[in-house]
Amino acid sequence: MELQSKNVIVTGGARGIGRELVEKLLAKQAKVCVFDISRPGLEQLHNDYPEIDCVECDLTDHKMVEMCVSGATERIGAIHVLVNNAGFLYSEPLVKLSPTGILKHDPAMWEKTIAANLNSVFYMTSSVVERMIMTRTKGVIVNISSVSACGNAGQSAYSAAKAGVNALTAVWAKELGMMGVRVASVAPGFTNTESTNEVMNQANLQEILKRVPLRRLGKPGEIVDGIIAVIENDFFNGKVFELDGGLVL
Amino acid sequence: MNNKINIILAGILSIPLDAVTDELAMKDVEAWDSLKHMELIATIEETLSIQLTFDEIVTMQDVAAIKKVLSTKGVEC
Repeated sequence: MELQSKNVIVTGGARGIGRELVEKLLAKQAKVCVFDISRPGLEQLHNDYPEIDCVECDLTDHKMVEMCVSGATERIGAIHVLVNNAGFLYSEPLVKLSPTGILKHDPAMWEKTIAANLNSVFYMTSSVVERMIMTRTKGVIVNISSVSACGNAGQSAYSAAKAGVNALTAVWAKELGMMGVRVASVAPGFTNTESTNEVMNQANLQEILKRVPLRRLGKPGEIVDGIIAVIENDFFNGKVFELDGGLVL
Repeated sequence: MNNKINIILAGILSIPLDAVTDELAMKDVEAWDSLKHMELIATIEETLSIQLTFDEIVTMQDVAAIKKVLSTKGVEC
């Protein structure tokens, strides 16, 4: 799909890889709408790029998602591309030893992680695709997955959510392709972003780098280039584009 | 053209050609679910080089209705 003049929603576009993607989309003359839960992040984005349609939305609330997608469609028109980028990186083992015994994974954090990384993708995509079908708009859905989808020790909830995202990608590609809607995933490996540095300590990162054949973290721009490639290549469908420096082989 | 529509329906629904009558409806054929309906619409659009609106798609619940919609597109049924 040629991106010029196309309407694109990016979730979690106020910072990190999402923000870099937004800047690349603007450079390609797409019309961009950003859904994000962070009001300060959206205010900063709007200050920097007043042409962006900024929407404060809790993507784990399906009623709010429906209302926000409806509003965005009324303002900017039919949506051609949705990038489900918003997510929440959380690490906790299933059980861990403590001086008082065994501590189990916090159920509330399980639910929060699944809601932020999986439910949000389901809610956004169903609302956007409903409108694509009703207006017979040919479109692209790009889900941001992770190498953790294949099972990363210490990340039960996050890995399960991302595996779920990959499953939805395959299901939706099969269901929607005949109506002109492509669905694909991009699965970054460990990438040099704020959230990676917030969540992981340097010792862990160095250990991970030993397992990456290229011996470095991905750059956000490299992930963005992968997302753009998936949007622009009309024959890429139902697959996961892994961008991990060869970590998973 | 009438025969062409019937052939498309029979092929997609995997039923005998003579089972495709004007009275045949989605509710009568287990295999004619919403996914099959989308496949049917995509095939009709591609074969006849037409574009159907969402409102037209949802009214095409039986063979007679399909032919009625297609006739408004200039397709002889």
